[in-house]
Amino acid sequence: MVATAPQTAVRKRRRRPARESDTPTVGRSRGGTVLANTVGVLFAIVMFFPVYWVINTAFKPAPEILQFEPTFFPHTFTLDNFKSAFNAPFFQQDLLNGVLVTSGAVLGALLVGFLAALAIARFRFYGRKAIILVVLSVQMVPFVAILIPLFLMLQKADLTNSLLGITLVYIVLILPYTVWTLRGFIQAIPRELDEAALIDGASRFQVFWKIILPLTGPGLVATSVYGFIQAWNEFIIINTLNDQAHQNLMAWLLQNQTSRGTFWGPLMAGSILTALPVVIFFLIVQRNIATGLTAGAVKG
Amino acid sequence: MSVVDTPSAPPAPQPPAPAPAGRTGSKRRSATSGGFAPLALTLPALLLLAGLLGYPLIRMIVLSFQSLGLRQLFADLAPDNVGFANYAKIFTNSTFYEVVARTVAFTVVSVLLTLVLGLGVALLMRRVAPSVRIAMIIAMMFVWAVPQLVATQTFRWLVDSDFGVLNYLIDRLPGVDFANHSWFADPIQGWAVITTIVVWAGIPFIAITLNAGLTQVPKELLEAAVVDGASAWQVLRSVTLPILKPLLVIVTTLSVIWNFGLFTQVYVVRNGRPEDEYQVLATWAYSTAFKNNNYGLGSAIAVVTVLLLLGVMAFYMRQMFKIGDVD
Repeated sequence: MVATAPQTAVRKRRRRPARESDTPTVGRSRGGTVLANTVGVLFAIVMFFPVYWVINTAFKPAPEILQFEPTFFPHTFTLDNFKSAFNAPFFQQDLLNGVLVTSGAVLGALLVGFLAALAIARFRFYGRKAIILVVLSVQMVPFVAILIPLFLMLQKADLTNSLLGITLVYIVLILPYTVWTLRGFIQAIPRELDEAALIDGASRFQVFWKIILPLTGPGLVATSVYGFIQAWNEFIIINTLNDQAHQNLMAWLLQNQTSRGTFWGPLMAGSILTALPVVIFFLIVQRNIATGLTAGAVKG
Repeated sequence: MSVVDTPSAPPAPQPPAPAPAGRTGSKRRSATSGGFAPLALTLPALLLLAGLLGYPLIRMIVLSFQSLGLRQLFADLAPDNVGFANYAKIFTNSTFYEVVARTVAFTVVSVLLTLVLGLGVALLMRRVAPSVRIAMIIAMMFVWAVPQLVATQTFRWLVDSDFGVLNYLIDRLPGVDFANHSWFADPIQGWAVITTIVVWAGIPFIAITLNAGLTQVPKELLEAAVVDGASAWQVLRSVTLPILKPLLVIVTTLSVIWNFGLFTQVYVVRNGRPEDEYQVLATWAYSTAFKNNNYGLGSAIAVVTVLLLLGVMAFYMRQMFKIGDVD
């Protein structure tokens, strides 16, 4: 491809409209080159292999896991690992905790975040930029950094080892992203719609209830799913603030390792059970997450 | 929408400019600036942020000038003020400089690797057959979706010294004995594993974002460059990369911020108690506070960590504002 280029340049046919046959480098043959396809397939295999290995391990019986020469497919297919993970101490308790804490945090953040996003997207007021600055910057503070004072604070307020305390922390954890993303969704609704409704005699509340809220629906879903993923995946804070009876599945996954050696089968099965809701949700809303993080960098 | 436009245009003094959003638009709609509404709407969010983020941040700074250990905690005593003693302890400790150097080195290496590989994958995605592209995207989606902790546990299993599949595969190479090889005995190998976890998990975001950016590069521009005799490398360097630049800047900055705060992978891989060779700033602060119960010193390390990142954070914000999306 490169070899043909200088030749073309010598002939200086710059102005000529490019025909398809003229642009081998750019157009690239429809099927791609064999080399590119091979590399692409290899890349996909290498990337996916760890994920596959978790699944592979989870369905093997213990003796088949504990041998130096691994089996690349389970020779004996078993659900024992899932059973023992599910019946392990604290698994069901932590599952329930996780569901409660996560949904509480998502609902809280959505409620509070939506109002703030509405203000930022629809009003121009003193301190608006400062609020945006705060929202953007707190997202970047490493959470481990404020873990120390948070621990001391909640301990004093008797909110360690409680689901309420950790729910509040998680609301704050996902709030910045919630505000930031919802702001984008609200801004995408043409202001003219609001104004038309106002002129037609609607109150501000009606504008919010009848126009903005319904039109932000998909955005609310995407944002809450992302909030769910963040809260569900968190384990450092909950592991520091709460005892095992008040932790979530991620923290359970951590305990499972440190306390009494590693039982790989149940650990991998537990990993699947823990990650499954996240993976499913993530695959649904992936597009929105990517655009949220880099909002505006691609001018469409 | 066009029906809506008509009544919304008041008898404006200026001609109806065809720019609905933007400076002129916002000035015309100064009516929306009014009242206590925006304050009331943002108040709950601000109170929560102030209470559970703002206050702890200030408390962290105060703590960094205090001495607080188990003794004060159990007796419910007020922490002693020690001035700059914690900072003096940090800055005179050679461990600090090692930890900073390690954190920076890891950040540079991991971000560079993720970026180069991610960009390579993004470019590759545009050259492969559609079926291969879909396979690549599916694989990356799964990787992206896997929670950090699960990913780390997975790699612990892959490199397990007794039954890990990696040792088995390497062992099969002729003349190599990798049975029972421990990857974490040698910090360099251990860090290679940690970097692999981070890069593996980081590639999907970069590759998919950059791939989306690549679709924005006008085909005519690439064609013109090729017709003018540019080599593939020149096209990449002089046409594609400049167009991708805003996106590259953002993903690079984000990656730096994320990887500088490396915690989970080290913490989990080293079973919650990283040895000296594995400490980075975040784990060091955590260990100091929660394992050694020295909350003041831990806070001081955390403050230093945030200060070191501040420049990068400010840069990120400036970019976000510059792009104009914030307006």
